[in-house]
Amino acid sequence: MKKIRLSKQLKIDLTGYAFILPNIIGVCLFTLFPMIFSLIISFTDWDYTKGIGNWNFIGLTNFAEMWQDEWFTSSLINTIIFAVGVVPVTVFLALILAVIIDKYCVARLPMRLALFMPYISNIVAVAIVWVMMYSPWGPFTQLVKLFGMENPPQWLGDTTWALPALMLMTVWSGVGYSNMIYTSALQGLPQDVYEAADIDGANEIQKFFRLTIPFLSPTTFFLIITTFITSFQVFAPIQIMTRGGPGTATNVLVYYIYTSAFTFYKMGYASAMSWILFLILFGITMFQWAGQKKWVSY
Amino acid sequence: MRKWKKLGALGMASLMAVSVLAGCQGSQKTQQAATSADTVKTEGAKTEGEKTDNPAPVVLRMWGGVPAEAGPQAVCDNFNQLYKDKGIQVEYERFVNDDTGNLKLETNLLSGDGVDLYMTYSTDALTKRAEGNMALDLSKLIARDNFQLTNYFGTLAEAYYINGKPYSIPTKLDQYGIVLNQDMFEAAGIEIPTEWTFDEFREIAKKLTHGDGQDKVYGMFWNSQQDLTYLFTYLAAQTNGGDPMYKNDKETSFDDPVVIKSVELINNMMNVDKTSPTHTDSVTQKLSQESMFLTGKSAMTVGPWIVRSIKDQASYPHEFKTAFAPYPVVEKGQRKYTQGGYGDHLCINPKSQNIDAAWEFAKWYATKGMLPVVEGGRVPASNTYNALEVTEAFVMGAENYLDAETTQKILITPADNYAVPSITNHIAEVKKIAVEELEGIFIGKQTVEDGMKKAKARADELLQK
Repeated sequence: MKKIRLSKQLKIDLTGYAFILPNIIGVCLFTLFPMIFSLIISFTDWDYTKGIGNWNFIGLTNFAEMWQDEWFTSSLINTIIFAVGVVPVTVFLALILAVIIDKYCVARLPMRLALFMPYISNIVAVAIVWVMMYSPWGPFTQLVKLFGMENPPQWLGDTTWALPALMLMTVWSGVGYSNMIYTSALQGLPQDVYEAADIDGANEIQKFFRLTIPFLSPTTFFLIITTFITSFQVFAPIQIMTRGGPGTATNVLVYYIYTSAFTFYKMGYASAMSWILFLILFGITMFQWAGQKKWVSY
Repeated sequence: MRKWKKLGALGMASLMAVSVLAGCQGSQKTQQAATSADTVKTEGAKTEGEKTDNPAPVVLRMWGGVPAEAGPQAVCDNFNQLYKDKGIQVEYERFVNDDTGNLKLETNLLSGDGVDLYMTYSTDALTKRAEGNMALDLSKLIARDNFQLTNYFGTLAEAYYINGKPYSIPTKLDQYGIVLNQDMFEAAGIEIPTEWTFDEFREIAKKLTHGDGQDKVYGMFWNSQQDLTYLFTYLAAQTNGGDPMYKNDKETSFDDPVVIKSVELINNMMNVDKTSPTHTDSVTQKLSQESMFLTGKSAMTVGPWIVRSIKDQASYPHEFKTAFAPYPVVEKGQRKYTQGGYGDHLCINPKSQNIDAAWEFAKWYATKGMLPVVEGGRVPASNTYNALEVTEAFVMGAENYLDAETTQKILITPADNYAVPSITNHIAEVKKIAVEELEGIFIGKQTVEDGMKKAKARADELLQK
């Protein structure tokens, strides 16, 4: 009796594994293997053109060298500026918009849809439209001129403004996603607490800061972590809009990794940098997990 | 109620996403090129399999950067007709000749025999491919068939040997020049120059510039958004030869007086004379030579690769006639080299299963088959072609838009003093450094002197490492 049951269980198990097998193969082939491979070659001086296997193990040289590499340090700084600028603005804007739309907006659905559209639009198309928006004949330059500025900034062609211009676009295209998450979280908030607050005579602002923000803190935590990771990995708009320029103004980490791998063909070095990027993101996320105890209430 | 609303929203959103994606497909030809390469591969395999009853012809796969309709397809059709009974057929696949496109090609070459023959467009790429076992050493085949490259291409062919060995057949003769709008020159009463200095060039550009705002006609368009390094290197190469960025293997020439003068010329025309759109204009408005020169918004531009578009009246309709002039030099008597040399280096994939057939095609293409691509603006390098026939094919269909005399003189008649590049040490990094500092110069963040000094310091440090 027992034996049959065991084999039944085994059968069930095997069926289960068979079901997930295609995915497991996929993960191993396209995620696990490249990860391990990149870790190995990050300790080598592999030049892509020399072919697979034609490499020397050079220990931690790649990891040590990058801190002397101006391109690496400047792109790391640009990435940090980018993320630190984009994340709080996106998340805060999304929260405000979610609350306003939820409470005061007449046409809620179209509004949410309009906000969400940029997020689901193809980033290539979005970037090309924004290039036109930032051109001297585009709305931004005209707006600045309207306010009486004689020499409006050249946005993407200006070393000071190119990065903020990209950040603005990223906020615009990312705010819809955060807004959607906030909206669904808002709908799940307990109404009785708000009623109690009403009876106690709390005004809207008090309710927002004392109730809504603490209630939503797990959502905020989730959004901060995910948007931080995605802003550290920004690549497509840079490739399409500025290619890292002018000068090194918009050269971010992932773009530089791409350049050193596929323009300079330094695969080992590029892999080493991607592992550093991973460690940085891992560190930041761990830090946030540790910090959440202070401000996230479940 | 709310649930239904949500479902509706989801439906609409996904509908829009699909339509956005569909809309984007047109603009993403680059990526399509890659995927269609794969389909061609499978189709090729299919036809090979089907024709098992009679001896299956060898189907060569040839990759090139020129759109198929601009000549390569006609070349392949001619070849397929000629070699129908000899059991060799060829299929053309286009890759876009930019970083991404070349990467696709190289990935393909490194991973197997998906490509039999391909074009290499720059000497540094040729070096890399020869050294990286992506191009076949042709010495044995040349000796076997007594196909001495120097017999067909002169001693210049040897300049493209890598480590003393031929890895490619040079097929195209490149001679560069300034492209100019002959009608505008006539209207301004300026003769088409056959020799000019930087100062004369600047003055002529000033005379040709007029108008304001969106209607402004510029004397010159530097096309700087595409690549900042080739502009000053082409100018400097007239005097300094084929390695305008290097003094030697370990030192860049960014402090060379001719190089500095060249950068100054471009900078002055952009930012002082305003006779050319600035680099910022080019970048922020994504200007192209087609949108500037062929629409009559600039009287001159660098070239001559725009010939392809000049002949394409359907896409770029224009009325005026285009002529050519040599690049200017700093001072009279400094013209020691002709900017140009051989291009379109036809290589064979060493992993190819059909090396003999590929070699057969390569020989035929270089010495006999190129006329259809001449019509697309490519001058054959081999001496087996008749110069008059080539000129005729070159201007064919564009007799009213191309000045035959300067076309033949500047672009077709071979010179004997080409600037041939030989140094490729860290060239990608050196170029990147140059681009970054030049951008700083052209947008006014630093002077020419400071910028080039920085570029030299940074690049030399890298070369000496």
